[in-house]
Amino acid sequence: MAMKINKYPKSRAMFERAAKVIPSGVYGHLGPAEGNFIPVDAFPLFGEKAKGSYFWDLDGNKFIDYMCAYGPNVLGYGDEDVDAAALEQIKLENCTTSPSPKMVELAELLVDTVACADWAFFAKNGGDVTTLSIMTARAATHRKKIIFVNGFYHGVAPWCQKIDYPGVLPEDVENNLYVDWNDFAALEKLVAENEGEVAAFIAMPYLHGNYFDNQLPADGYWQKVRKLCTEKGIVLIVDDVRCGFRLDLAGSDHFYGFEADLICFCKAIANGWNVSALCGKEYLKSAVSGLSYTGSYWLSAVPFAAGIACINKMKKLDTPKLFREKALTLTNGLRAAAANNGFDLVVSGEPALFYMRIANEDTLMLHQEWIAECVKRGIFFTSHHNHFMNASLSDDDIKHTIDVAEDAFKAVKKNHPEI
Amino acid sequence: MTDAKTLAYINMYAVLGTLENLCELSPEASALIAGAKPVSIGFEVKDGPSATIFFKNGKCRMEQGADKCDVKLPFSSPEKFNGLIDGTVTPIPSKGFTHIKFLLKEFTALTDMLNKYMRPEPQDLEDPEFFRVSTTLMFYTISVAISQIANNDDIGRFSADHMVDGDIKMAVKDGPAATIRVRNHRLITVKKNPESPRAIMEFGSMELARDLFDGKVNAVACIGSGEISMRGMISMLDNMNRLLDRVGLYLA
Repeated sequence: MAMKINKYPKSRAMFERAAKVIPSGVYGHLGPAEGNFIPVDAFPLFGEKAKGSYFWDLDGNKFIDYMCAYGPNVLGYGDEDVDAAALEQIKLENCTTSPSPKMVELAELLVDTVACADWAFFAKNGGDVTTLSIMTARAATHRKKIIFVNGFYHGVAPWCQKIDYPGVLPEDVENNLYVDWNDFAALEKLVAENEGEVAAFIAMPYLHGNYFDNQLPADGYWQKVRKLCTEKGIVLIVDDVRCGFRLDLAGSDHFYGFEADLICFCKAIANGWNVSALCGKEYLKSAVSGLSYTGSYWLSAVPFAAGIACINKMKKLDTPKLFREKALTLTNGLRAAAANNGFDLVVSGEPALFYMRIANEDTLMLHQEWIAECVKRGIFFTSHHNHFMNASLSDDDIKHTIDVAEDAFKAVKKNHPEI
Repeated sequence: MTDAKTLAYINMYAVLGTLENLCELSPEASALIAGAKPVSIGFEVKDGPSATIFFKNGKCRMEQGADKCDVKLPFSSPEKFNGLIDGTVTPIPSKGFTHIKFLLKEFTALTDMLNKYMRPEPQDLEDPEFFRVSTTLMFYTISVAISQIANNDDIGRFSADHMVDGDIKMAVKDGPAATIRVRNHRLITVKKNPESPRAIMEFGSMELARDLFDGKVNAVACIGSGEISMRGMISMLDNMNRLLDRVGLYLA
């Protein structure tokens, strides 16, 4: 039987309504431009409800969601244990003048869970804590310069944007230095050229930029970086906002066998309840204490309660192991479906955050066509970004995804008889 | 935020270079030079670009370099050359005095006509044919300016440094198309469709292209509405859009 092909008239109508009062209708990574909705009419623009691994759009179309809200959905949308903890806390207090002990409990849990953590500082978004990490490094070292890895993403504050982005001044990024991923010799050279001036080296645990195969750390890379940073008094910051708790509950630095000085968490802490955290080593605690850095909602108790429940449940389920196993089943199935139809589907990065690319040609156009066919059949992938696993994904979901992928490959092949 | 040298490259290749298209698109422009003897005008800018425009049989074409020309106009600096374009500097030929009449009459009339299309009065745009020619010329000017900014402007070079090799197709549906070719982070614009684009950005209509060029609408918003479609290596388009942002700074 032919698979249902989604249509989105209500989504489209809502988008037109949105565009009248919201810049670009839906801005940012959830919107059609940054979200690479190619073509735009293949994608839903607004959701109505979500549960587990699924969301339903305004038109009633159901999707298995492999973007997981770009990471926060780690246990499944509306996880009953996490939401129960949050709702219980709502009955007591949330955003109040005097912070809840839940803040202390979550900090203690993070210190017990994350290998390099001696303390935790809370905010709301990933960018809040990457910015805090840079301020901490500068305050602690009294140095200006920061080394980034080309292809990085650490948020949207001016310091971590690029000189050619609208609204960014050259002065915002004049202390930024850039080095290629896995190129330790280049990093060593850059540090030598800026001896005594580098405050921090900031990187994600591995390179998961968009539009290219994700690259894992070379053998010994992180260990050499750790040694260099220690020798040169450079603060080593791991931006674990994207990977955090999906590879290793003790932190992705622990997963790769080294210790960061500062580590940034956000997405997976509280299964969608809004909280982020900077964790760090004891020697930097005093520097953080001295910063002027706060926000109206940063000490709200409900997300802390959710975070405690989420981390405890991730421990109970051993989610990193679960993600790896499920993702390998899924991606092996997708690659086989591709091969059955003459497509070379390359899967890269860690399985829990797999990135895909059809490699039959180098424009990504075939890949975009296939992704669009999957989305129209109810599997929400994106063509440009890594995906995210969540714990509620069932074996049946994986099987259905592979079936849909196969049907989508056939649809693309029909339009490309040369394959 | 802008520099005179980059502006000189834009003025040379994107603005004066659009005379080629003016003569193709406007019978009036073509007729202006149709009766004149073949002649070539070279523009040589110290520490800047040099190019020659060849006029023949009602058409013109631009080539790089000013070594083989009938009339040579030297400029002592990019600023002086930019002054020619904005009408504040009168050029003095270093050779080709016998062709001075063409320079003063036909060439000046042609550049005045280009200016009329490039900086149109609102009422002129109500004429559909004027609108079509004006928007098409603006498209070609902008598409060439993108490459000049990528190669010369400091911030533009940063954008180009992040572009992978390949051809970008920039096109208006039922309208003009151009190839923005990227090789080793240097860009060159070819005023025709690429054979095998690695990325495509297509504006849905001439009206939309006009509004974008005039800064009335934003490309990101138009992607959501479906008025601009994009596909292929989107990172190339991301960086090209940053170059496009800077075109507005230089051509304002």
